Amino acid sequence: MSISTRLDESSGPHEAPNFPLRVVDGLTLPADYRKALRPGEDWKDSNGFSRQLPRYFYEVPSWDSAMKVELATHFLLWEFVQVDVRESPVLRTFPRYVPCAITLLAVCLERFREAVGTFVHISANGGYRSPTHRFSKNATPHAWGTAANIYRIGDTYLDNRNAIERFSLIARQTLPGIWTRPYGTPTGYAEDHLHLDLGYVLSVPRDVKS
Amino acid sequence: MTSKGAAAPSAKTAGESTPRDRALRSQIERIEKESGAKAIAVALHDSESGFELHYNADRWFHAASTIKVPILLGVFAAIDRGELLPHSRVHVRNRFLSVVESVPFRVESGRDANSAVHNAIGKMMRVDELAYHMITTSSNLATNLLLGVIGPESVTETLRQLRVDDGIDLKRGVEDELAFEKGISNMVTANGLLRILVMLAEGKAFSPALSRRMMDILHGQEFNQGIPARLPKAARVAHKTGEISTVAHDAGVVYLPKRKPYSLVVLTEWDPNVSGRSRTIASISHMIYEMLTQKAQAAE
Repeated sequence: MSISTRLDESSGPHEAPNFPLRVVDGLTLPADYRKALRPGEDWKDSNGFSRQLPRYFYEVPSWDSAMKVELATHFLLWEFVQVDVRESPVLRTFPRYVPCAITLLAVCLERFREAVGTFVHISANGGYRSPTHRFSKNATPHAWGTAANIYRIGDTYLDNRNAIERFSLIARQTLPGIWTRPYGTPTGYAEDHLHLDLGYVLSVPRDVKS
Repeated sequence: MTSKGAAAPSAKTAGESTPRDRALRSQIERIEKESGAKAIAVALHDSESGFELHYNADRWFHAASTIKVPILLGVFAAIDRGELLPHSRVHVRNRFLSVVESVPFRVESGRDANSAVHNAIGKMMRVDELAYHMITTSSNLATNLLLGVIGPESVTETLRQLRVDDGIDLKRGVEDELAFEKGISNMVTANGLLRILVMLAEGKAFSPALSRRMMDILHGQEFNQGIPARLPKAARVAHKTGEISTVAHDAGVVYLPKRKPYSLVVLTEWDPNVSGRSRTIASISHMIYEMLTQKAQAAE
């Protein structure tokens, strides 16, 4: 298969069993999408280290499908793709594209949900957001689909030190290798949500030949 | 803050002391004296007769929530430019940065009359919903969210382009206590707000359709103790109030049956513990209503 073509046009060997979303090579997308998603490009993080952006995405054809697709038992796709007016206009309409690593994040959150024993709510702009989202100043794992901002767990709003640090500890104890933002107000800290991420993980579907 | 020589309405009666003008001024002076207010400003433009009144109308006051009218204009400017749609979604997040050293602050839910926006924290609301809450229940959270999307400089530029920037000085969002303590506040004059209201009432803000949408939002105002309080039931008022410890304002367009509307701004300044603010605004509004409609009755 050429890397410059979409990986699958219908159900077939490239599609994960029981997973309804098509994998798309970001480099084959129209120019306006490539400009917004910057597939495979390098992007520097806040420390000046270069990180490679995701190149392979799941294509989300409609909001209806985002509402239906389960990424994990208690997490539907729509929860990871809620973005507001700060996202690039082309990425606010459908079809939308999310990095393939989003499924890894969902599995981690499912594990976290089991540990806390109640609902875990991802905030708007708190799942996947593109590198051209207005919040994306430096390379952030949100643009890899591997970060989540959690604003509420059960009936607890994570808007204070006690709640954030309590659930941050549970996340770190439950999910090996997870990184959580410390509580605080300066840049790099969080005071009104729990940020957790897996780092700059690239997920390349096994049928991709490059 | 100096006069920038902005546009309509012209102060065509300023300096022209007619009997009606003198009578009104005299009555406002009396109300001002009896109320205990530190200062009162009134600006009036009657589209029916062309009559105008400008009483202390270029004096600057802390804007309080009347600044939300210029912000509404800024939001609709972004809609007019196609940068926003009425149904564009905005992340409801209660975290803002002060204009003083970018120190984070929150809007206290207990100080916000509106709970709908606070209940949506973490989720998203539409631009038109936020605009509605910003005006009708004066939601400070909605105001700061919208200002965060469009930016204060965008509002200022909109006012300048529409030539209604004279008398409006937008410096920051609301509830920025650190800025308040440093003396950095949004300021307005009665004439400044009047120019915006007249433009809206005449359908000249961007387009008649967008002007009408803004007026519809102003018509939804839920705080009606000021300008509308002593008007007849048939009166419809599209308006915005504003109140903090030292000021109480109301600015609106009054629609009465069988006549063109009039635009009225009443700004008042008080010592913190003095009461009777809304009553004072209502008295001035009623007095102006009486004056404008008596003339019409006399002519009939």
